[in-house]
Parts: sequence; structure tokens; C-alpha cells
Amino acid sequence: MTTITSQNLVDMFLAIAGAIEEKKDHLSELDGVIGDADHGVTMHIGFSAVKNALTGLDTGESDPATVFNTAAKSFLNAVGASSGPLYATAFMRAGAAAKGKGDLDRDAMIEVFGAMAKGIQDRGKAERGDKTMVDAWAPAAEAIAEAAERGAPLAECFDAAAKAAEEGAEATKAMRASKGRASRLGERSLGHMDPGAASTALIVGVMAKSLAAA
Amino acid sequence: MATIFKSGKTIVKMANMNSAIARRSGNSGRPQPAAAPVPLRFRDDPLLWAGWLYAHDGMTQNEIAKAMGISRATVNNYLAEARSRGIVTLTMETSRLSEFMIAQALMERFDLSDCIVVPSAGEGRSLIDRLGETGARVLERLIRPGDAIGISWGRTMISLARNISHLRLPDLSVVQVTGGSTAPVDFTPELCVSQLATSLGARSINISAPAVVSSPAVRDILMGEPLVRDQFEMARKTDKIVFGICSTRPESSIHASGLIQREDLKHPSLQRSTAVIAGRFIDDRGKPVRGPLDDRTIGLTLEELREIKLRIAVAGGAEKTTAILAALRGRYANVLITDADTGHSILQAEGVPESLGMLKGTRRTQVQGGNLVKTKKLINDATNIIEEMLDGMIAAHPKHLRQLEGSPRSIVAVDGPREGKVGIVVGGGSGHEPTFVGYVGKGLADACAIGNVFASPPPDPILECTKAVDGGAGVLYLYGNYAGDVMNFDMAAEMAAMENIEVRTVLSTDDVASAPLDQKEKRRGVAGNFFIFKVTGAAADKMWSMDECERIAKKANSRTFTVGVALAPCSLPQTLRHNFELGPTEMEIGMGIHGEPGVTREPLRTADEVTDDILERIFAEMDAPEGSKVAVLVNSLGSTPLMELYVINRRVAERLERKGISVHATWVGTYCSSLEMAGMSITLIHLDDELTELLDHPCDCAMFRAG
Repeated sequence: MTTITSQNLVDMFLAIAGAIEEKKDHLSELDGVIGDADHGVTMHIGFSAVKNALTGLDTGESDPATVFNTAAKSFLNAVGASSGPLYATAFMRAGAAAKGKGDLDRDAMIEVFGAMAKGIQDRGKAERGDKTMVDAWAPAAEAIAEAAERGAPLAECFDAAAKAAEEGAEATKAMRASKGRASRLGERSLGHMDPGAASTALIVGVMAKSLAAA
Repeated sequence: MATIFKSGKTIVKMANMNSAIARRSGNSGRPQPAAAPVPLRFRDDPLLWAGWLYAHDGMTQNEIAKAMGISRATVNNYLAEARSRGIVTLTMETSRLSEFMIAQALMERFDLSDCIVVPSAGEGRSLIDRLGETGARVLERLIRPGDAIGISWGRTMISLARNISHLRLPDLSVVQVTGGSTAPVDFTPELCVSQLATSLGARSINISAPAVVSSPAVRDILMGEPLVRDQFEMARKTDKIVFGICSTRPESSIHASGLIQREDLKHPSLQRSTAVIAGRFIDDRGKPVRGPLDDRTIGLTLEELREIKLRIAVAGGAEKTTAILAALRGRYANVLITDADTGHSILQAEGVPESLGMLKGTRRTQVQGGNLVKTKKLINDATNIIEEMLDGMIAAHPKHLRQLEGSPRSIVAVDGPREGKVGIVVGGGSGHEPTFVGYVGKGLADACAIGNVFASPPPDPILECTKAVDGGAGVLYLYGNYAGDVMNFDMAAEMAAMENIEVRTVLSTDDVASAPLDQKEKRRGVAGNFFIFKVTGAAADKMWSMDECERIAKKANSRTFTVGVALAPCSLPQTLRHNFELGPTEMEIGMGIHGEPGVTREPLRTADEVTDDILERIFAEMDAPEGSKVAVLVNSLGSTPLMELYVINRRVAERLERKGISVHATWVGTYCSSLEMAGMSITLIHLDDELTELLDHPCDCAMFRAG
């Protein structure tokens, strides 16, 4: 049975940082249509900070909770606006869920993911259908819970989450923004994917890949 | 069928020149150079020149041919090429895209046999009313002798039923397609059926059972009853059905109507549903969503509904866009009646506008400057603009303001925080000066956290402000209700709690135009902050307790009303582009201080007319009888000058006097701006003795003084 170590988690964050760097122009482009074209840049700044902070972390000495909390803190200090508190809250809740645990087994890792999704929803107070990252997080959390319930192994659970996040992000194209700064565009936001949902799909996808390799 | 025609106007936009040139280079198939020398500013690019003459100068192809010294056919080729390369693009404005073209496109896209699109704004009547009336006209034309007509429920349906004429056709019947409800609303299934039957002069066939029952077993028993079974047979045999489409969004009336129980609606399986049609749930792709209600619902199933030959959906309004789209994707309707904005939104969500083939060759009327023109600003470096602004501000007001060491975006009152006093922290995005930082000082806010232009500050500077002003009596956060600000301030509050500082929050929601009255908690905070900060700051200065300060802030917020009007856009220092577009003779009433859409966009009117319009919106909500007392704030959004503000205040004073409302105090000037936006807002605070006393309490801030 797979267990996820602190080192696995650090690798996961580094993989996310790499993917964000690769896709930052694409994310900014999405944001340019319905926001101020800075989502890619903001995410890049945030995950670069995470990368720097985690690179300096001694994974032999740090438990998973510390990895998540370090990520949360560095992300928050680097990024303001909305993505900052949202992702930082996700990592903080992940840290809280992992608190006091050593390596994370399948159930613990699934709990961590659920806590992240819930953190995003609590912090943003957005509902599904508001055209925000919740539209990717909520279906992903549902999918992972369903997969876990039918006893699927960890990799399969995360695959289900990644797929659901992807579909959820896709569905935001038909939504009309009613939260955050994009809401001022109203119907003009239709037809475009929400950048936050897009970055979520990207991150959950990388998490799935990275954890499958762990 | 009567489809309303209105000539559509298109707008031609020139793409950013640099990108057009970039796209040009490396393309071997470029046209031959023009006969006349291409003016230098077009950098040797005949496409750009032709496009400019067409889009900007409004020349005909013949005129362009003459100007460029080439044949008209070549001009035609150039323009086609310019369009295909995106140098010239055709865009249509929603308001001007004709209803007819939207209807056509919706029909093609969703296999509709007919579609009627009504104007989105109209003649002082509600959209539901106009949709209902149009639905009635459509139905009248389609009904044949002997028809059995099904109808669902909802506001639009009852409006339709009321509007339909007595047809004097033989053997008509109106059939209920779901069970009934005793919900305390005037649009239940029974009422819709009986109203339609009465109006038409038809027999009405009700279903003698509730729409939703307590258990599947009860449903089976009821459905087995011969009477109900017969009634249901009738429902399945209807020839025509009219139905509304209900959104499942929180603001939808389905939550308040009582037709479906709130607990049932909250069931997790229904979280992914987007729309409700005749009591059945569908997702955003139009697929049925299985839920706890399925086996407890008495009514046609979605499959049965789709069996009916003629299915007329009547629904409109921006908030229903995704719901209608879902219903169309599921092909539940084959006739749609909606409004232009909603229809356009649906097409946009489907990515259809680009393929509106019929728009090809349509001429434009004007160039919209937006992405073409860079605005002029006196700045050094956009990325450093906040730091430079703060440096200058501190230099100007050293007696009032200081920056916290190590946290330069935390601005604290030199003479404010003290032991035992509730600390007041305000803040938000920059670009609204003197809001928020201008209200830091004795008797007002103790500290302000500064964000980037139009963006919330992160939790750190907020937390530093909190620690700096905590005098042991707790800290109260006051700021406008915006999603980003709420998240960052909430995080700061949580962090402060970990350091044992009690933090409470009161959000300002004074912008009347930003959400309807029944969703007041969703409204944004704008210029009314001025009054809310002032009275709460005074309460804290008088050493009132946290409970009292919080109470007064809430009270002030509930009695403060603002409506604004925008005349011209602002532009962000980072982009130097207009952040929205407004036609040369247009204004938008209710626009937010970051360019959020308002309530109406219409031709510019006189100062008095605009003031009256704004005041009517405020009076509609402010419960201030004759003899009441208010304070007035006439605020510039940036570039509207004092001269105009005083003209407006003249009318405000006149109207208040005629209403018998006395003005305790008036402020006229720039108190809450939106960079260089042109326009203004009017704020009234409905005073009582307590608020009056606090408003008069002395305060001394960098940009404002009282008492």
C-alpha cells in the first residue's frame, strides 16, 4: 500500500510549480479575457515562493503538515488579491488535516484533499455555478470521495479527481461570473473558462500524476 | 409569427497595431504594395491603411480605392484579408444586436422550430410581464380546436396565463402536468392551470395530488388511484406544453417559493443541478440529475415531457442564462421565448457569435477607442505606483499618518489608537483616494491597509494594522463588500485571533444598484463608507465598547444609500486601457467604482434628470417620512468637477426640501473616486439623534476634518 512521505509532497509541490511556470502565459491569457490578465503571473509568483521555501526544507525532519504549512505561508506572503488567500487556505487546511501524522496513507491523503477543497469553498464563500475555482474543486472532491468509497487505490482516486476538475473547469465556460472581480463583466464572461478553475484543473492533474509516481 | 425586427448596428474594431504587424511579417502571401505610397504611420502596410480608412474614417470601399489609388476589387480583397488576419474585427454590441438575429441563431443552434426574442429593457414593464405577454401571443396562434394544453408553474407562467385572450375555440382543455402545492405564492401549479383555463375559456384538468410527497411509497399509492391515474393520462396526452425554466442558483425564486422544500433543494445530489423544469432537475449539459425527489415527485418525467410535440419554454433574465442554456442543450423545448440579452449570453456561452454568418459584410458605425487608445497618466513606473503614492502622502501629512516599520502598506494614525479604545481598521484596493487612507486620523479610522490598484491588500498588512491599533478593547474591520477584500480581511482576522486580538467585521453595502433589495447582503460598498467610517470612528473615539461600535456601524450601514452614474471610463496604470467602454453619448446608472455593470445604460440626460433618477432609487428604499433628517454626500468619481457636483447638489437640496426632509449636513467633492472615471454618486444617510451626534463629533484626518 502506498504511503505519501514529506519528500513525496515536496516533489509534488515542485511539479506543480514547474507546470504553473510552463502554463503561466496560458493562464494569464484566460484571465485577460475576463480579468486583469495576471492570474498566470500571480500563480507563478506564488508557486516560485513555495518552491524556494520547500527547497530549503529538510524533509527528513519535517512531517507532511509542516510541508503544507510552509507552502501555505510562502504562497500567502507572495500573493495578495484572491488567489493568495484561496490557495493558502487550501494548503493550511491540508496541513491541519495532516497534523500529527507521519507518512500519509491512502485515507489520510484523501482526507487532505477533501480539506483543501473545503478550505477553498469556505474561504471564497462561492457556490458551484458562480464561475470560480470552486467549480473545479467541488466536483474533484466529490469524485475523489466516490472513488475512495468504492475502494479504489490512491492513484485511481486522484485520477478521478483530476478528471472531474478538468470537466468542472470546462463547464465554467457556460457560466456567468457572479463572484470576484470577473463579476463586473457579467455576461461578457460567458464562453470563457474561469482562470481559477483552469489553474485548479492543472494543479489537481499534476497532483494526480505526481502522487501516482510516489 | 411576429418576430420583432430592429436594425442591428455593428462596431468595427481595429486590433492592436503592433500585433497586426507582427502577424503580417513572415506571411509570404501578402498583397502587392498599393499604388499610392502608404503613409509612414502605417509602416508600409496597405492592409493596415485600408483597414484604418474603413474602420476609423468610415470610408466606403470606393472612397478607399480612390484614396489608395487602387481598384475597388483590391480594396475588397484587402479588407477581407485584414478581417481574416484580425486586423479589422467585427463585433456586435449586445444592446444593438437585433433580436431577430439572436432568434435565428438560437433556432439553428438548438434545433428550435421557432424562437421569439423580446428586447431586454422595455417600457417600464418587468421582463417577466413582457415575456408572459409574448408567450400568450405565441400560444394563441398555435392553439387549435380540441387541444389539450399543459402548463407548468412559476411567475412567468402565471403572467402568460393572465395575458392570454379568450379564444372561443371548441373543446379546449388545460392540463396540470405536476402535482399541486399549497405554497403561499400566487403561481402554484393549480393557480397557473386555472388561470390559463379561465382566460382561454377552456376546461381545466387538475392533478389531485401534491407535486412532492413524503415517500416513494406514498407516490406509488397515489399514482395508483384511478382518479389520479386518469388525470395523469391526460397530462401525458397533451398536444402542447408551455413551461418556465427555473434556475437553481441561490437567488432563484425556487428557494423562496416553498414549491420544493429547502431541505430537499440542499441535498448534495442536487448541488450539481443547474435548472428545474416542471419539478425535474437537470445539469448544465441538460442531462437529468437523479436526486431524492425523483421517486417522490408526482409529475411528468423529463422523458415524457420530451414526447410532447410542441414544447414552448418561456424564460429570460441574466440570472437564468445557464439554466436556459441547460434546457436548450437537453432539447426540452422546441420553441423558445426569451429576451435579447439572455439570448445573446446563451449564444456567447456556446461560442456562437463568431459563427454568426449573417453578420458578414455588415457595415460599422464607429470605432470604439478601448483597446486602441492608451490613456495619459503622470506616472513613473506602474509597478511602483503605490509605494510612490504613499511616500508622497506621508510627506504631505506627517502630522496625521505614519507607515509601520517593516510593513509600509500599513498606514496608522499618528494620533488615534489608544489604550482601551476599540481600534478601527479600514482598507481595500487603491485608486479610490481619499478612500480609504484619507479617513485615517483621530476620531475616524486608526489604520488602513493598502492594496494594489483595485485589488485587496493581502492579510499581512491588515494584520500589522490590527496589532498596531489594538488597545485591548478589540479591533473592528470596516470595508466594502468585495469578495477579495472579504477573504483577505477574514484571514487577517483569523491570524489576529491566534494572537489573542478580538476582531469583528462590518461590511459596507450601501450601493443600492449593485443587487436587489432582497439580496442586500450582496451589495457592494462605495462612497457611503464615508458616513459609516465617520460615525463608527466617532463612537470608538468616545470610548464606546466593541458591541456598541459594531452596532453603530451596522446601523449606519443599514441607513446609508448610494447610487452612482458613470459618464466615462477609468484606466488602470498597469494597462493604460479603458477598463470598460461607454458610448460617446451614453451614461450608466448604478455602475460600480471598478466599472461593475450598473442597472441601466442610456443616453446622457440633464443634471436634474439624472439626479432625480438616482434619488428615486434611493427614496424607494430609504424609509424616511416627512420631518426626517439626512446628511448628503455628492461625490465625484474622479474627473467630474465641483461645478457639476454643485449643480447636482442644488437639485438634491430642492428635492429633499419638497419631500419635507431636512438636510443636517452636506459634503460635496471627491470622497470616493474610481481613478479618473467621469461621473458621480449621491449618498444619503438617514439620521437619527444618535447618528447625528456621532456625525458631528470632531475628527481630524489627513484629507477630511469635522467639528
